[in-house]
Amino acid sequence: MPDKKHNLEKVFYPQSVAIAGATKVPGTVPYDIVLNILKTDYQGIVYPVSPREKYIAGVKAYKYIIDIPDPVDLAIIVFQSSVCHLAMEQCGQKGIKAAVVISAGFKEVGPDGLERERRLVEIANKYDISFIGPNCLGVINTDPISMLNASFARKMPEEGSIGFLSQSGALCTAVLDYARAKHIGFSKFVSFGNKADVSEIDLLYYMGEDPKTKVILMYLEEISEGRALMKAAQDIIRQTGKPILAIKSGRTSEGASAAASHTGSLAGSDEIVDAAFRQAGILRCGNIEEMFNKAIAFAYQPLPKGNRVAIITNAGGPGVLTTDAAIHEGLALARFSDETTDIFKKHLPATANVKNPVDVIGDARADRYNIAVSAAMKDDGVDGAFVILTPQSMTDINTIASEVVTVARQFDKPIYTSFMGEADVASGIDILQRNKIPHYILPESMCKSFATAFHFRENLRVPEDGIEIFKQADKERAHAILNTAIEQKRSYLPEAEAVNVLKAYGLPTLEGGVAHSASEASKLASKIGYPVVMKIMSDDIVHKFDVKGVVLNIDSPTVAERAYTSIIENVKRLVPSARIQGVLVAEQIPKGEEVILGMKRDPSFGAVIMFGFGGIFVEVFKDVSFRVAPVDKFSAYRIIDETKASLLLKGARGRPKRDIETLAVCLQRLSQLALECPQIKELDINPMMVLEEGKGCFVADAKIML
Amino acid sequence: MDSAEIMSRVKKVIGQVLKIDPSTIDDKANFIFDLGASSMQSIALVAGLEQEFGIEMEEDKALQVQTVGDAVAFITSCTH
Repeated sequence: MPDKKHNLEKVFYPQSVAIAGATKVPGTVPYDIVLNILKTDYQGIVYPVSPREKYIAGVKAYKYIIDIPDPVDLAIIVFQSSVCHLAMEQCGQKGIKAAVVISAGFKEVGPDGLERERRLVEIANKYDISFIGPNCLGVINTDPISMLNASFARKMPEEGSIGFLSQSGALCTAVLDYARAKHIGFSKFVSFGNKADVSEIDLLYYMGEDPKTKVILMYLEEISEGRALMKAAQDIIRQTGKPILAIKSGRTSEGASAAASHTGSLAGSDEIVDAAFRQAGILRCGNIEEMFNKAIAFAYQPLPKGNRVAIITNAGGPGVLTTDAAIHEGLALARFSDETTDIFKKHLPATANVKNPVDVIGDARADRYNIAVSAAMKDDGVDGAFVILTPQSMTDINTIASEVVTVARQFDKPIYTSFMGEADVASGIDILQRNKIPHYILPESMCKSFATAFHFRENLRVPEDGIEIFKQADKERAHAILNTAIEQKRSYLPEAEAVNVLKAYGLPTLEGGVAHSASEASKLASKIGYPVVMKIMSDDIVHKFDVKGVVLNIDSPTVAERAYTSIIENVKRLVPSARIQGVLVAEQIPKGEEVILGMKRDPSFGAVIMFGFGGIFVEVFKDVSFRVAPVDKFSAYRIIDETKASLLLKGARGRPKRDIETLAVCLQRLSQLALECPQIKELDINPMMVLEEGKGCFVADAKIML
Repeated sequence: MDSAEIMSRVKKVIGQVLKIDPSTIDDKANFIFDLGASSMQSIALVAGLEQEFGIEMEEDKALQVQTVGDAVAFITSCTH
């Protein structure tokens, strides 16, 4: 259990609250917070604390926190930042264990603010106080036994089962306004600001255990402890089955930095967040609308047990649109049983389409919808229903909405709706939303949300796969090579040395050696056996092909001597300043599919493994996927499957199937190497040649950045 | 001007700006935390002290003056 979580119950369920820094001036944050707590039927006792006022909003005020005669569970601190530490000190003296620091003027304003924030944390730690903020909107708990709105949001949201955590306070107010219009309720609502003490990870764990919260939403601006966040999410999803949806802003602010390796160049911070979230089971959303579209699906309806949907519509066009969207999202149109079809035939007009999508015809009223939706939902071949409506002159929109609500309550299967239009359908939509039936303006959003809920359920059923530790890995040998290079102040390991590091971890490498003359190259080639390949070795050259530093298919001693000479000449001509360490001579393996395996160290998530379509065009096609290490067997196969390269490996267009099994093991070995050798900053194995099924794969080229 | 006189005149200015009895002001009182000064009143306090003592307080230094004691120490350093 994380350290800071133990006092959070007092943040959300305090028996008494002190508002330190309260004023009598309407329209100010301190005053509005007092008023919000009072007017939302808070079930505890309120103590305004103000150096000058005797009463605030009709409630007796105290000069100091320590003057309050009774015990206090929670302090809301709204003083100017320069004196918040004095208030925190008094909280400690008073024995208060939970606080929310609303005030701004801390880390976000520069070094002085950072120092103020550090002081707050120091005092909180001294007294074992858990505090949220600073620089935040506050907290809200809609649970009737608490009813706490300790924030300066305009209104208390409706009670619901969605827990919302946000790093941005301003976004919170927009979200509350958006949600209120759609009758979306919240269990807990937290703006955690600078997260100086209580972090989003502590709050995630709290929401995970909160019986009132079914779905957790997060808005994050920066992730400081990526691995801890992943672990929290994995723990919560595995243990409670609660979905976690998140927006991580800054998708475009920082692209991949210019890097010496392909992996460094392809693995931007956003790609890594994407991969980490997917791996942890966090459902990443692009915007607020998408997040709530999905959140209501999780919060309001049962998870679909399959992907077979029934579409019931009173209009052909929207039915086709929904069908297209459903297929696009990987859903299937349910095939109705004979019994269901008979009901449709018996009760729907002769012109109605009794196959999926079921068209109940434009003049359908509530009774026809009821029959069609009920019959479809009863069908064992249906996992959920989409109810579409367009407003014709005779369409009794509100009654149809009420019928949908009634039918939905009778089944343990989800019903989603799309009443298309705006003005005429508004009252019907209102009925659906008030009764917790997910409604979507667009059928595409409806299908996407259903697909997300379906895949979430499927992923819950995937058994946890253990991480395989390859005990034969020679960590000492790898460290010796890497440390020697570091002692020599080198930032790059050329292929010959990189291959030895990989070899230490059991990655399949080729036999070879370094030649320093044409005759030496020829002798080495004869010893290895023809055909061989030759490649330039230079710390100053990262992409050898670009400088004509590679020769393939060398099949005799004469060709070997010629190849050596030509490589040296090419490099000296194209990169005159390059320091040449020799020419690598290695056995040439039969042609396989070329893939790339890579590793990069990310400041938030640590070692990240990359897999993708390899060769010299890796950065052109950008067909890559990522995983945060360690990579288990299941993830290794998944990372391969996520790329188009997997189609080639599986034998697209009559090509032979490749040895994916060995490739998956290589990914796991690379993951172990990445975790056990922190000296490595970036690593590329490109290409790795994947041979036919059962014949293995080989590192054809590699480089390591230190 | 000795410290006692500076203290007395500082409390007089604080009393005028915050509308409180100078005799109730503690020597160590924090303008915001103990006396309840708002942001605007904090600015008015600096202006009042500048006028009372004929000094100029740079913004950075004024921000560091948070208590009655801070103000007395600052003014003492300016007048010597």
